[in-house]
Amino acid sequence: MKKAGAKKSLGFLLAAVFCWFAIGPAGAQQKDWEKDWSQTLAAAKKEGSVVVVGSPDPVMRGEIIPKFQARYGIPVEFLAGRSSEVAARLRTERAAGIYAVDVFLSGPDTTATVFYPEKMLDPLKPLLVLPEVVDGSKWKRGKPWFVDPEEKFVLRPFSSVASLFFINTDFVKPDEIKSIKDLLNPKWKGKISTEDPTTTGAGANLAARLHHEFGPDFIRKLYLEQKPVSTRERRQFTDWLARGTQPICLNCREDDVRPLEKEGYKLLEIFGLSDIAPATNGSPWLMSLANRPPHPNAAKVFVNWMASKEGIELYARGYGSATLRTDIDHSFLNPGNVPKPGVKYFDDTEWSWIVTGRHDNREMAWKLMKSR
Amino acid sequence: MTTALAAAAPSAVRLRRVRLAEYGALVFFGVAMGLPVVFLLLSSFNIAPPSKEAVFGLDNWSRAFSDTGTLSALWMSFLLSITYLIPGMILSVVMAWLIARTDMPGGNLVEFLCWFAYFVPDFPLVLAWILLLDPNFGFLNAAVSALPFAPAPRFNPYSFWGIVWVHLSTGGVWFKVMLLTPILRRVGATLEEAARVAGANHFTVLRRISLPVILPAILAVAALSFIRGLESFNTELLLGTPVGIYVYATRIYDYTRHEPSAYGEATALGSVFLVVLASLAYFYQRRLRGKKFTVVTGQGYSTLKVKLGRWRYLALGGCLSYIAVMMLLPLAFLMLGSVMRRYGFFHISAPFTLVHWRNLFGDAIFFLALKNSLVIAAITGVAAVALYSTVGYFLACKKLRTAPLLEMLTWMPWVVPGILMSLGLLWMFLATPLRSVLYGSVWGIALALTIKESPVCTQAFKAAFLQLGPDLEEAARVSGASWIYTYRRILVPLVAPVAATVGLISFGNALTSISTPVLLYSARSRPLAILLMEYSFSGEVERAAALGLLITAIVSVMMLIGRKFVRPLTGNL
Repeated sequence: MKKAGAKKSLGFLLAAVFCWFAIGPAGAQQKDWEKDWSQTLAAAKKEGSVVVVGSPDPVMRGEIIPKFQARYGIPVEFLAGRSSEVAARLRTERAAGIYAVDVFLSGPDTTATVFYPEKMLDPLKPLLVLPEVVDGSKWKRGKPWFVDPEEKFVLRPFSSVASLFFINTDFVKPDEIKSIKDLLNPKWKGKISTEDPTTTGAGANLAARLHHEFGPDFIRKLYLEQKPVSTRERRQFTDWLARGTQPICLNCREDDVRPLEKEGYKLLEIFGLSDIAPATNGSPWLMSLANRPPHPNAAKVFVNWMASKEGIELYARGYGSATLRTDIDHSFLNPGNVPKPGVKYFDDTEWSWIVTGRHDNREMAWKLMKSR
Repeated sequence: MTTALAAAAPSAVRLRRVRLAEYGALVFFGVAMGLPVVFLLLSSFNIAPPSKEAVFGLDNWSRAFSDTGTLSALWMSFLLSITYLIPGMILSVVMAWLIARTDMPGGNLVEFLCWFAYFVPDFPLVLAWILLLDPNFGFLNAAVSALPFAPAPRFNPYSFWGIVWVHLSTGGVWFKVMLLTPILRRVGATLEEAARVAGANHFTVLRRISLPVILPAILAVAALSFIRGLESFNTELLLGTPVGIYVYATRIYDYTRHEPSAYGEATALGSVFLVVLASLAYFYQRRLRGKKFTVVTGQGYSTLKVKLGRWRYLALGGCLSYIAVMMLLPLAFLMLGSVMRRYGFFHISAPFTLVHWRNLFGDAIFFLALKNSLVIAAITGVAAVALYSTVGYFLACKKLRTAPLLEMLTWMPWVVPGILMSLGLLWMFLATPLRSVLYGSVWGIALALTIKESPVCTQAFKAAFLQLGPDLEEAARVSGASWIYTYRRILVPLVAPVAATVGLISFGNALTSISTPVLLYSARSRPLAILLMEYSFSGEVERAAALGLLITAIVSVMMLIGRKFVRPLTGNL
């Protein structure tokens, strides 16, 4: 009986030791994290603000900034501008020894071709500390996805299936375009609109991909012989699509088209065709941390919140993008915009494609277009 | 001999002061206007990748000019600028003459409407013209096609002539009327009356008397408009791109938004404006050499207006009809646009809403941006009048040794497009000890905008001072007045209408300019124009229309206030 009691005591002791080893450090870790976070928050409030640079964006202005300020009491100073303008400004400031920006929420091209190669960034990865942000199970790829070659500078929180083009089904029946080559049907001559493909932007990016996959002859036929109507103004081609003036729109944006669909316009988003795979992209932005940030603690709070469920979901709902987090219900999106397992996608935000592939193909496409 | 020496002494002192002021102005303009341009020109020869050690060469220049589209775009720009400059000048001279020199009723109203029209933002106005003229859904095309003798479509904004038409509506006439009217007001009636006594009719008086005496102003306004025409690209982007009409400024714009950016190539292309400006300056000087344009002297001055008789109502009708068609019609669509759920979509359910106005006033940064804009615009307006009235005086009084250089420097801010000038100024601000005051502040933005307005303001004041006779100053001096006193109490009141015009143009442009503050603002100094850019960029056209209208309303109120203050200063002039 005594032996049994001793065994039982030994069992309890072993269990206690096991628990100490198994849970103790985790509990200590949790306390460490909490301590670090509360210290960061206190320091962030002392810093007074966080400076974020990004594209002009109603979601940022109307939802992200007020929500973040309400939650942490830290004002967000948001500088909006075109990427090329922001890059020029930063270069000039830095040449004068001014480091005024904390966080970039920028497009893939500027991030990959300016901020990263010009060493304007600090590693973002070590700053992510919130458990819900670093917990791999919360991310579809098993961890936060850092897309830069060193996998620590540039976080990609979104991956949506991007539209290949839109059609107005009052004028174009879906079965009339089963392959990308159907766009070359003389019936559609002058009926296709595109963002001006001869300058940097979505129009040129699509032309680069088409050049990459179908070659120069296809580019010549589509962009020269089919006489697509081009513009730089996104509302213009969306209106043309709705009115049927140009019922095929190569670069209409989903967030521009959605309100017109709600008004009853029969607009259909085409993601992929028999001869071209659907594409994914990281819109609306990639997140990175500016080096020598003037408000390092506020920046740490901002990037953690921005990568959390609350921050990403707010942006995803406002912008209409699919996220890479597993704890966000994507039912607010068109199902076609959410990548499906097992489907092979062309990744338009893939690093090497941005840095070399897209650039080279774009240049070749431009050469062809200007040869007319 | 002693008397002569005594008289010469103050004159020598005055001359020394003029020289001092001259060199001070040269240094200021050299630094503020020349330096950013020199920085940009030097940078354009740097062919090293960004953030690498500088390597100098001609690659950016050869790349920019070897582009196949560059020359054709330049030709198109010249063609467009000239095409809408000619009718624009004729219309604006006639309109300004009718307002300033005749007894046409409602002249003040016509002038006010021109001011109002000038400050309506381009972008939503061009969209309004598309709604009116589009071959497929334009309202005017639909209306005309209902007529039995007019097969549709009759109008097409996506064409060369469509662009010309829209330019005449957005700024081709209003800007010129604004600048010419106060100059014409200064033309006394004495010469005109003498001509009429000699048997000349109204048209002959206008052609042989009124216009020749304001030739410096006409040439300056034509040159300013021509350069503005060459630099214009917003209208061309919306109306030209769909039909393959590209202009030179679009090429420059494309280089500035290249990724990675190609500011070197953009500056290289911008250098063409320098050549154009130098040519215009040469032509201007040559045309005016040896001529006098004095109309305000110390001897008698009549402000009697030309009597149009029964033509006066016809003249008013003509002016109002032009304004109604070219401004009020698209403006009505613009106003509608600001209260529509989607601009131009009249057939959707419940198309009208006030939500865009509510969202505008509900934007968390709206009131801060409004305050910033008003502060920036007020500083710019006052600074422009103070600075350029002095420079204009110096250039007109012909006592300067370095007048051509100073005048060339005042044109510099228009040599490069706004975004490049903004970059040059950012560089300059950061390189000066004043950077803590100028960088990211409303002061820095106001200074940049004051600099950017230099060509318009200088030329307007110069033309005004050329009208004043030297006897006014001499009489004051003989009576013992100092130069400052003479300048403040005699010269400035005489050019007060021009000063008011310059102040209001600077105020209004400071409210609407986007490209100049875009690299200079911080979150705390963000002006309304940047907010307008953000709305346009993110496709919020309706809210942009609402904000554009609000800005126009602010300028209009300022204009009414300005007129109230200027009138007592100038009497009935």
